[in-house]
Amino acid sequence: MRIPLRPRARVGLAAASALVVAAGLTACGAGSRTGAETAAQVDCPVEVDSPTTVNVLAYNSSAIDPYTNAMVRSCTEGDLTVAHEPIDFAGQTQRTTATLAGEEGTYDVLETYGYIIPQLAADESLVPLDDLVDTYGEQYDLGALNEGMREAMSYDGSLYAIPMQAQMFLMAYRQDVFDDLGLEPPTTFEELRQVSQAIQDAGDFEYPLALPWLASGDITTAYDAALGSLGVDYVDPETMTPNFDTPEAAQALEEMQSLVPFMDPQVTTFDQPAVQQQMYNGDAAIAIMFSGRMSDLADEDNTQYAADFGFAPPPSVEADGPQFSALSVDGWSIPANSAVDDDVLFQVIATSVSEDASEASLPAAYPARDGVADSSDSPIIEAASEAIDNAPPAEPFPWTAPISNETRPVIAEVVLGQTSVEDATARMQQIATDVLAQYS
Amino acid sequence: MRRRDYALLVSPSVLVMFALLVVPLYRTIEWSFQRVRYGQPGTFVGLDNYREAFSDPRFLSAVSFTVVITLTTVTVLVLGGYVLAVLVNRLGRRTRPFVLGLLLVPYVVPGLVGGTMFSWLFNDNFGGIVNQLIRALGLPQVLWFTETWANRGLVGASVVWFLLPFAMLVMLAGLQGVPTELLESARMDGAGTLRTHWSVIAPSIRGVIGFVALICIMDVLRLFDQLIPLSPQAVQIGNESLVLYIYNQAFLDGGQRLGLGSAMNVLLIVLIVIMLLPFIRDTAREGRNA
Repeated sequence: MRIPLRPRARVGLAAASALVVAAGLTACGAGSRTGAETAAQVDCPVEVDSPTTVNVLAYNSSAIDPYTNAMVRSCTEGDLTVAHEPIDFAGQTQRTTATLAGEEGTYDVLETYGYIIPQLAADESLVPLDDLVDTYGEQYDLGALNEGMREAMSYDGSLYAIPMQAQMFLMAYRQDVFDDLGLEPPTTFEELRQVSQAIQDAGDFEYPLALPWLASGDITTAYDAALGSLGVDYVDPETMTPNFDTPEAAQALEEMQSLVPFMDPQVTTFDQPAVQQQMYNGDAAIAIMFSGRMSDLADEDNTQYAADFGFAPPPSVEADGPQFSALSVDGWSIPANSAVDDDVLFQVIATSVSEDASEASLPAAYPARDGVADSSDSPIIEAASEAIDNAPPAEPFPWTAPISNETRPVIAEVVLGQTSVEDATARMQQIATDVLAQYS
Repeated sequence: MRRRDYALLVSPSVLVMFALLVVPLYRTIEWSFQRVRYGQPGTFVGLDNYREAFSDPRFLSAVSFTVVITLTTVTVLVLGGYVLAVLVNRLGRRTRPFVLGLLLVPYVVPGLVGGTMFSWLFNDNFGGIVNQLIRALGLPQVLWFTETWANRGLVGASVVWFLLPFAMLVMLAGLQGVPTELLESARMDGAGTLRTHWSVIAPSIRGVIGFVALICIMDVLRLFDQLIPLSPQAVQIGNESLVLYIYNQAFLDGGQRLGLGSAMNVLLIVLIVIMLLPFIRDTAREGRNA
C-alpha cells in the first residue's frame, strides 16, 4: 500500500494548496472601505526633528476611512510617517484597552467616540486637548467644529477628542415599494408596525424590516435607543439610581418585541453589515441603522436597488417623543502614554478634520465641521441633518458603557423569548446597581 | 555523540520551548491566583477566580458543550478519516494526487475564513445553497444560527469538514505501512473486506489512529475561531465553547479580567490532559515496547 506522488503531481498539489492559502490570506487582509489613493490631500504643516512614526488606531468603515486616509496621505512626508493598519471595530475596542494600559502604548492616535470618552477620561488615559486647541485652533480653523459635537467629546469640562463626524440612526426604505403600496415613511413605532404589516401582507417581502440586533453586540444600542426615545436614561445621575425599574424600561423592551414578527427569525445574529446585505439582496424593505452605513446602500456596485432607496429620520417610539436613535460622535484622541510629542500628534489629527478632508467624507459621513454637511445635496445627508436634532441626548458618564455591556445578554433573552420583561428589568436594575457601586 | 555536542544541538530547542511554553504556562498559573489588568502588577486573590469560574452556570455549560462536541466530532473524524483514506488509497495513480489536493483544501484554509465560507452555505443573506435545497425539497425552514441543536449540527459539520483532510492524510500514511504479506495471508485465510479491516489493518495502524484522535481532541477542545461566524448567538443558545467563553469573559468589550481568564485556561489545560490521558498512556506504552 503505497501512495506514489510523482513530481508533477506534487507540484500540482503544492500549487493548489498555495493558491488556497493565498486566497485565504487575501480574504483576511481586507483593507479600507474607501481607497487611500482617493483620499483628500490637504496641507499638513507638521515638522519633526527626527524620524517619527505615528501609529493610528481606527476601525475601517465608509464614514471613518476618509478621515484616516486623509491623515495618512497628507502627513506622511519627510521624517514623519503616519501608519494605519486595517482593523474592525471589535479589534479597535480590544486594542484601545491594551494600548492604554501600559507605561508606553502601541498607538499614538486613537479613534474614540462619545460613548467611551467619559470612561477613558476618568481613568486619565487620554490627553486633555484644551491647551493644544488654544495654541493651534486658529491655524486649523477648529472653531468651525460643531459646538455640540465638541461637548460630546468632553468630560468634566475638558475636551478629550477632536470631533470628526457624527453618526445617528437613519431609516432606509424602498421608495419603489412604498410608492406601489401608497405608504409614507413611518414616524412612530405604531406606523412602523402598520407599514411593515402592509408590506408583509402584499406578499413580496416575508420579513420587510431589517434591524441590527446582534445578540452579542448591537442589540444593546437598540434598547438604549428605544429607552432614550421614551425620554429615559439608564441612570439618574443626580441620585445615582438606575432607571430599569421604571415603566418606560419595560415598555422599551415590549416595543422591541412588537417588531419581531416583521423581522427575520434569526435577527439576533444580524449586525449592521448583515442588515446592509439584506437590503442589497432585496430581502427587506426597511432598515434602521447608523448613518455611516447608508452610503453603501446608494452605491450601484453593491446592489441593483441602489437607486430605489429613500432615506428618512428614524421613527420615535411614541408620537412627539425623541427619535429611536443613538447619537454617536467620532473623533481623534491622544493617548496619555504615547511617546510622540503631543504637539505633533495634535497637528496630525487637526489636519484630518480640515475643510477639504471633511468635504471628501461626504456623503458617507456627517462632518463635525459646521456648514460642510449643508453643502451636500445627498438625500442621506438631508435625512441626517433632520435626524441629528431629534436624537436622544447621549449619557456622558463612565458607567454608561459597563451597564450597557453587562445588560446586553438580558436584552437578548427578552427578544428571544427566553425571559419575561418583568424578570429582565429586575435583573438589569440589579446589574446596574452593582456597576454603580464602583462609582459611588 | 559527546555530551557537549548533544547539549549544543539541543539547547536552541530547549530555549525556544522555555520561552514559548514554560514561561507563559508559569505566568498563566500565577495570574490565575491574581486580579490582573493590562500593564499593572497583579493582586493576589487566592482561589477567588476559580470560585467565580465554578459558580458561573455559563462555565459549566461551556465545558459540557465542548466535551460533547469533541467526543462526537472526533468519533466522526476517526471513522470518516479511515474510510476516506481507504477509498483514496484505491484510486488510480493519475487521479489520486488531484483528489488528494481537492480534499486538502479545507485544511489549508484558515479556520475563520473556512468557517465564514461554510456559514454562507446555510445563510440566506449569502445565497444559502443548503437552505435553497431544503426549500426545493419542501422541508421546513431550519434556523441554523438560532436553534441550539441545528447550530450544533452546523458547528460539528464545519469542524469535521475542516479536520477530516488531516485525519485522512495521516491514516493514508498509516495504511502504507501495512505489510502486503499480512493482507495476502488474511485473504488466503478467507477473511472478507470488513474482517480484514477490523482484525488486520485497523489493529496494525492502532498507533496512527491514536495519534489522529489525540491531535483532533486537542484541536476541537480549543474550538474558537469557527464559532465566531458559525454561532453568533452562542451564549444565548448554549453553544459557547470553553475557549470562546474564556475570550468573552477576559477580553470582550475591552475587558481586562485576565486573572479569571487565566484560571479558566488552567482548568482547560486540566480538561485537555484528562481527555488525552488514555492516548498519552498508550503512546508511552508503545514507546516502552518499541
